Amino acid sequence: METNNHSIETQNLSLWYGDFQALIDVSVNIPAGKITSLIGPSGCGKTTLLRCFNRVNERYGNVTTKGEIKILGKNIYDPDVSLLELRKTVGMVFQRPNPLPISVYDNILFGLRIHSPFGSLKRSQSDEIVEEALTSVFLWDDLKDKLKTRATSLQLEQQQKLCIARLLPLKPQIILMDEPCSALDAKGTLAVEELMSVLAGTYTFLIVTHNMAQARRVSSECIYMFLGELIEHRETQALFETPEHPKTADYVQMRYG
Amino acid sequence: MKRSVLIYQSIALITLAVAFILLWSFSKGTPFVESGLTFDETAADSYAVLQENLYRMVPILLGSIFFSIAIAFYLEEWLAQTSWIYGIVAQQITILASIPSLLYGLLALYFFVLQSEKGSFFTHALTVVLLVMPITIQSTQMAIRGVDISVREAAFALGANRWRVVIDHVFPNAFSTIVAGICTAISRALAISALIIVVYFWREPALQSGDTFNVPSSVIVLLSSALLSSVISSFLEKKANLT
Ligand SMILES: Nc1ncnc2c1ncn2[C@@H]1O[C@H](COP(=O)(O)OP(=O)(O)OP(=O)(O)O)[C@@H](O)[C@H]1O
Ligand SMILES: [Mg+2]
Repeated sequence: METNNHSIETQNLSLWYGDFQALIDVSVNIPAGKITSLIGPSGCGKTTLLRCFNRVNERYGNVTTKGEIKILGKNIYDPDVSLLELRKTVGMVFQRPNPLPISVYDNILFGLRIHSPFGSLKRSQSDEIVEEALTSVFLWDDLKDKLKTRATSLQLEQQQKLCIARLLPLKPQIILMDEPCSALDAKGTLAVEELMSVLAGTYTFLIVTHNMAQARRVSSECIYMFLGELIEHRETQALFETPEHPKTADYVQMRYG
Repeated sequence: MKRSVLIYQSIALITLAVAFILLWSFSKGTPFVESGLTFDETAADSYAVLQENLYRMVPILLGSIFFSIAIAFYLEEWLAQTSWIYGIVAQQITILASIPSLLYGLLALYFFVLQSEKGSFFTHALTVVLLVMPITIQSTQMAIRGVDISVREAAFALGANRWRVVIDHVFPNAFSTIVAGICTAISRALAISALIIVVYFWREPALQSGDTFNVPSSVIVLLSSALLSSVISSFLEKKANLT
C-alpha cells in the first residue's frame, strides 16, 4: 500500500483562497515513519499545506484546490474517500493546545467514540485505552488521579501532550503538527520534542515550525517554502548546511548565523 | 460590558415599574388581589378570555424561542460557511433586534385600541413573536460565535461531523449565554404583555369598578417574572464570562 515508503505524496498541488493563490504547484513526498519539518517565512503557506492533508481547509467556503494528494497511496479527493477515515488516519496537533473543554478522560476517548458504533466501547476497555494513551505521552503518572478534571485547566505542556495523546487511540499513521511548541516554554518544548522522537517510527510526523533550531533537532528531512512555492526539500542537515537555492540560504542564514 | 449595563438598566426600570404599580394600586385603596370580587358577569368573561390568552401565549413564546435557537444554529453552523444569503439574513436580524421594544408596544397598542377585539390575541402573539425572535436569534448567534474556534478545529480534525460538533461542543459551551439571551427576551415579552393587559383593562368598561382602575394581578405577576428573568439573565451572563 505504501508506495516507495512515502506517507504523503502531492503532485502539482495548488490552492486558492478566493482568487488569492496560497499554494503554487507543490509537489512533495513525505517519508513514512520519519519527522519532516516545514519551514518558511510567515504567510508562505505552511499551515495551508498542512491543512490540505486532512482536508480541514474545506471548511472555509471559498477554497479551490487543484492537483493530487495521495495519503498512503490513496488519492484523498477520490469520491469514495470518507472524511471520517481520513481524519482517523491523519491526526492534527495545533499551534495553541486545544483540548476539548471536557474531562481528560473524555478527551482521549472523544475521537474513538466518533469512530465506533454507539455503545461498543466497554468501560474496562476505555480505561485501558486511556491509560495506554497517557502512558505513551508520559502523562499517566501526572494525570492518573486527575482523569475527571477539565482538560482546559491543565498546564499548557500537559494540554499539548494530551492533544497528542488523544490522537493515539485512533491509531493514526500520520500526525500533522502546526507549530506545536510555540505556546510552550523551553522545558515544555523539549518534552514535546522528546515525545516526537520516541513516537517517530510508529507515526509519520510533519511539523511546521518557525524555530530553526527545533527543525534541526527533531527532523530528518526539511522542506523550505516561500510565497506558496516549495523551494527546497532535502535532508535537514544538508538543507541547513549546504542549501542549494539562494532563497533557502537567505532564510536559513538570516535566521541562523 | 455594554450588554450587562443594559441588563442592569432594565432591572432597575422593571423594579421601578413594579414598585410604582404596587404603590399606586394600594394608594387607590383597592388592593389588586380583591379586584376579582368586583367583577360582574361580563367582566368575568373578559377576564377569563384574557387569562386564556395569556396561557395560550406560553406555547407561542416557547415555540418562538425554540425556533429562534434552531435558526441561529442553522445560520451560524450551516449557512455562514456556504452562502452569501447569510450576510443579508444576519443583517435583517440585527435590524429587527435593535428596534426598541417600545415600538413593538406601540404597534400592539395601536391594534388593540383601534382595531377590533378579534384581532387582539393575534396582535399580542405577533408582538411577542416579533419581539422575542430577533433578540433570541441574535443572542444565540453571539453565543455560538463565542465558542472558541479551537474547540471546533479540534473536534473536526478528530473526525467529528457538524452535528457532532454542535451537539457535543458548541451547544454545551454556549448554553449559559444562550439561556441568558432567552431570559432577556422573555423579560421583554413579559413586560410587553403586562402593558397590553393594562391597556386591555383600560378600554374594557366592564373591568373597571366605579371610577377606580384595578390593576389586575396578572400584570404584577408578569412584571415580577420579567424582573426575575432579567436577574437570571444577568447572573448567567456573569457566570458565562467567568468560565
Ligand atoms: N482562510 C483564509 N482565507 C483567505 N486567505 C487565507 C486564509 N488562510 C490563510 N490565508 C492566506 O494564505 C497565505 C498562507 O497562509 P498560511 O496560514 O498557510 O501561512 P503560514 O505559512 O502558516 O504562516 P504563519 O507562519 O504565519 O503561520 C497567507 O497569505 C494568508 O493570508
Ligand atoms: Mg501557520
